[in-house]
Parts: sequence; structure tokens; C-alpha cells
Amino acid sequence: MELLLQFAATEPTDHVTDKYVLGGFVTMHTITVVVIGALFVWAMFAAAKAIATGPESQGNDRYTTKGRWAQFVEVVVTYLHDEMLIPVLGEKHTKRFLPYLMTVFFFVLFINVFGLIPLLDVQHLIGDLTGKHFKTYIGGTATASITVTGALALVSFVVIQIHGFRELGIKGYLQHLCGGLIPGPIYLLPVVAIVFVVEVAGQFIKPAALAIRLFANMVAGHTLMAVLLGFGKVALDGAGGSLTLGVGGITLISALGALAISFLELFVAFLQAFIFMFLTAVFISLMSHHEEEHDTHDHEHESTLAAVIEPTAP
Amino acid sequence: MFAMNLILAAEDTAGHAAGAEVMDLYNWVPGVTSLIVFGIAFVVLYLKVWPKITQGLDDRQNKIREEIAAAERAREKANLALVEYEQNVAKAREQADEMIATARADAKVVAEELRTKNAADLATMKSRATADIAAAKRAAIVELHAEAATLATSVASKILRREISVEDQQQLVQESLAELAAQQTAETEHGMAGAPS
Repeated sequence: MELLLQFAATEPTDHVTDKYVLGGFVTMHTITVVVIGALFVWAMFAAAKAIATGPESQGNDRYTTKGRWAQFVEVVVTYLHDEMLIPVLGEKHTKRFLPYLMTVFFFVLFINVFGLIPLLDVQHLIGDLTGKHFKTYIGGTATASITVTGALALVSFVVIQIHGFRELGIKGYLQHLCGGLIPGPIYLLPVVAIVFVVEVAGQFIKPAALAIRLFANMVAGHTLMAVLLGFGKVALDGAGGSLTLGVGGITLISALGALAISFLELFVAFLQAFIFMFLTAVFISLMSHHEEEHDTHDHEHESTLAAVIEPTAP
Repeated sequence: MFAMNLILAAEDTAGHAAGAEVMDLYNWVPGVTSLIVFGIAFVVLYLKVWPKITQGLDDRQNKIREEIAAAERAREKANLALVEYEQNVAKAREQADEMIATARADAKVVAEELRTKNAADLATMKSRATADIAAAKRAAIVELHAEAATLATSVASKILRREISVEDQQQLVQESLAELAAQQTAETEHGMAGAPS
């Protein structure tokens, strides 16, 4: 019982904070990311091998994907490609950005799901059982580290900006930052200045929001699980270490709650990976379809501004 | 055990406190590591994995499209064949109906002809038989009359030539009868000799 309660650790945030391993330079999340990266590449190679069209000697069977993992990858890629990316990016840009977006999705998914494996707690448990306090080298959710999510968001930021310049050109990019109000009436210059500042800030805020959203969701979920499990330990401490019926009841309820939250966390792991990828696609599309949207926005802006400047009588 | 855990946890917390400063110095390391790992993973997957996956999915999609197109073509062909077959069957049925109708009409005509011919033959045969019978009857009567007259003439001539006694009369009758019998016999023999063998 006491050992099981050690899963809650002394502090709920212990499950999400990074641990120093080799003098601080190499941390637990660092090792975890490297291991997950290797696993990720290996798993994707395996999936690609199964999805790729086989030799002609296999007949029609060469078109079938064998293996659950490869079928999962195929279904996910097909669904995201057909239902999510094509409507947002269009055929041309989907083809160009599919490798990046799918890599981001599966990489984040791998880290998120890996975080649900209680490696950290198992290491704690082994430490308790053996009576030796040893360091935790691997485990935890690396996406619960803002530097990890920030790095991934930085890549998205670079991709979005490069695409923006490439798609719109310098002039078009600057026009985009001005909200499409230039060229325009001279009296709109103050508005253009405000829009420019907001748009420039938006270019940084969007990827920052990606990083913070993923980080916050991962931290919150794991902290909530640890808090729920911690109720049992708190009850045990409150009872002076004696295992009473009340302590057992509280522990059972909190454990069931933590179990339910862990299912929610599994869903969140997929959801956040999807959101990170999808919002990146949306931000790319905002730079892609700017001219088409620009016209619409122009009309909207013009009509709105015209209504403000020259209100018509009802 | 619990006390030991608490001690370990306290040590852990102390360790954390000591390591926190170190961590603050190097908290960018996981980020940079992620950047490098992600970069390597992306390049490797971009070159070796995603082309295979997208190609595989495209191949499958094309295959499905081709199969659907082929199935549609085959269905159209089958529909055309079915229509042609149905037309042929209808045509054959029509021809068969026509043939049956023609055969029935022919049979009816033939039967009618046969019936008419039979009736005519029967009528001819009947009238011929009736005529034959009537002729035979007339011939028989004529022959009988002739024989009777001959006999009567013979008897009368003999009576006229002499006065006859009872014995003569009897003798004359006997002679006449014998002559008649002989004449009949001769006629019979003549008839048999003249009959085809």
C-alpha cells in the first residue's frame, strides 16, 4: 500500500519536472527524447515498409498493409491528409508539407504516449523495494518541458515564415503584416501601424501558443493524476500511518479517479499532437491563401472602416 | 518502510534543491536535444519513409480507382450483353411463335384437305358401291328372268311337240332340269376358266 502510494511521489509536480542526470547537462528529458526519437524513426521505418507497395509477384496482396501498427499509421495519415489537410492547405501545399506535418504529429504523439508509461514510477518503486535511492534516467513526458515544446514550435515558426516569404514575397509578406490595408487611404496609416504591430506580434504569439498549449496540457494532466493519487498518501499520513477503512476508501476512490484521468490523458495525448500539427497547417495556410483571403479581408475591412468613418443613416 | 521513504524523499528534495541551480543553467538542453533529434528524424523520414508511405498510399488509391473503373466498364459491358441477349431471346421467341403459328396453320390446312379428300373418296366409293350393287342386282334379275323364260319356252316347246303322259311330263321336267343343271355347270366352269388365276 505504502509502496503503491509512492507513485504519487512527494510532490505532484515531481512527475512532470525534469531530473538532472549527469551534472545537470544531460537530463532525464534529454535521454527520453533521444530514446523516443530512435524508437520513432525505427517504428516509422517499419510502418513504411509495410505500407509500401510490394513486388508484383505478390499479386493484389502487394497493395495490402500488414500489421496493426502500419495499419494505424496508414489510417491516421490517410484521414489527416484527406479530411484535415486538403481542406485547409489544398492539394499542392498538402503534398509539400505532409512529411513535415506528419513527422510533427507522430513525434509529439510518441512523446505524449511515452509519458503515459509509468517508467518514472517504476524506477521509484524499484528504488523503494531495493532500499536504494537511484536516479531516474528515463521516463516522464518530455512535452511537459517548455523547452521541448518551444523547440518544436520554433521549427513550426521557421517553416511558417519561410513558406510565407516564399509564397508571398517580401512585398506580399509586408502587406500581410499590414493587414492588407496598404496600399490604402492615407488616413488609415495609424490603423496600419497598430495592425502591423499586432500582426508582427501574432507571428511570434502563434507558435508560442502552440508551445504553451502542449506544455500546459501535458503538465496539467500528469499533475492531476499525481494529485489524485496523493490523496491516499495524505489520508495515510493523516491517520498516523495506520491503515484504516477511511484511508482505504479514500485511496480506492482517488485511484479510480486517477485511472479515469489516465484514459483522458491518452485521449489528450492524441488530441494535443493533432492540435499542434493542425494549427501549424492552419498557420501555413494563412500565409498561403493570403491573396484570396486578402481580397475578402479587404472588402471586409473596407466595408467596416467605411461604416465607421462614414456611418450611413438607418 | 514508510519512514525510510520519507527520508529518501527528503534526500530527493534536497538533491533537487541542489540540482535546481544546475538545472536552471542547462534547462535549454532538452530543447536543443529535441531540436536535433527532431531534425534528424525529419530528414531521415523525409528521405526514406514518407516517400514510401505516400507512394504506397497513392499506388493503392490508383489501384482502387483503376479497379472501380474496370468494374464499371465490365458492368456496362455486361449490361450491353444482357440487353443483346434479351433482344435475341425475344427475337427467338418471336420466331418460334411464328413457326408454331405457321405449323399450326399448315397442319390445319393439311387436315382440312385430308378430311375433304377422305369425304370425297368415301362418297365416291359409296356411290360406286351402290351403283355396283344396283347393277349386279339388275343383272341378276335380268339373268333370272332370262333363265325363267328359257325354261318356260323349253317346257312349252316340248309340250307343244307331243302329247305327253304323266311319265313323259315327268321325264320332260327331269330333262329340262338336267339341261338347266348342265347349263349352269357349264356356265360355272366357263366362269371359273375365265377367272384370273
